[in-house]
Amino acid sequence: MGKVMILNASPRAVKSNSKCYAQIFSKYCKIDAEYFNVSKTNHNELCEKIEQFSDILFVFPLYADSIPVTLLNFLKTLETKPQTKKPVISVIINCGFIEPQQNDIAIKIISIFCKQNGYTLGSVLKIGSGEAILQTPFKFLVELKIKKFSSSIVKRKYRVFQTTMPLSKKMFIKASTKYWTDYGKRNGVTKEQMMTMEIED
Amino acid sequence: MKLILSDKYLDITLNNDDIKIIDLSSLKIHNCTGCFGCWTKTPGKCVIRDDATKVYPYIAKSDRVIYVSRIKYGGYDTVMKTMLERAIPIQTAFIRLHKGETHHIQRDVALKKAIIIAYGNISDEEKDVFKSLIKRNSYNMNFESYKIIFANESEIEEVVKKEVNKWEK
Repeated sequence: MGKVMILNASPRAVKSNSKCYAQIFSKYCKIDAEYFNVSKTNHNELCEKIEQFSDILFVFPLYADSIPVTLLNFLKTLETKPQTKKPVISVIINCGFIEPQQNDIAIKIISIFCKQNGYTLGSVLKIGSGEAILQTPFKFLVELKIKKFSSSIVKRKYRVFQTTMPLSKKMFIKASTKYWTDYGKRNGVTKEQMMTMEIED
Repeated sequence: MKLILSDKYLDITLNNDDIKIIDLSSLKIHNCTGCFGCWTKTPGKCVIRDDATKVYPYIAKSDRVIYVSRIKYGGYDTVMKTMLERAIPIQTAFIRLHKGETHHIQRDVALKKAIIIAYGNISDEEKDVFKSLIKRNSYNMNFESYKIIFANESEIEEVVKKEVNKWEK
């Protein structure tokens, strides 16, 4: 029986959407899964545990078109600690844009890490509109895909999945404008202030 | 304004006040924490008040940039990537349609002619991924045009000087 090591590599791990995606995965995963946050200081500790698992699941957001530096630095540490038993690496990545394909480069980067270090890339789930989708009626779409994704890992029939809000781009822009305007309002900042063209002073 | 942003010290002397060289390896720049403060609390300003706050205004202002970075797994290595993640205050949270895709609306960011000098032990597959990454960066980082140069670490200064000379012509 396999066991999944869920590694949340979001820079805001504790309060992240990635944590929510990981929780949904744990809910549907029919084999044991253990959750960890990747921090700046726990790389060695995590690397020491890796051989206990059949699968690693990295969960993280797209950052500047690529993987976040939190994950990059962890991969660089993992590279210096070759494992005799290498788990299969699967990925749940989310971006704030509606197109899940904007995550593709980050996946290729993980794939290169895997090739260079002898790991197998397993299943991939690319989520578009990932910043807000869990707070919308479309949450069920993510749940469905994560369920299928987790089943692919359990059955070792690794696949690529994707999901996003089923909206036109125009509607998505309208919805995201409201999302961010409300976000600012909670901080006492108006839409006009958020739209400022000024950078520093 | 022109900017040379490098992840390592470059032994280059320039007699042109319009060109700023920034050696990221000499600066203290923390990781972005994804707090969205620069979009929703103090728009245009990062809440982490370290050296990154002195760098991203130059990124925004410059219409010609040279980025010099080591490559890792087909992407920027840690030093440059950390800075690029910390440069999001130059964008707003709001989304627009750009080249048929959704992207963030830029603040007062100059349209750029960018040169990316990538160095390190780079495989052909990594080069291909890096080219795709820069194409995507061009949409999100306001590149009007870009050129990627793969170079050996030992020749970077020569390559930078050559490109700067072209700027000055």
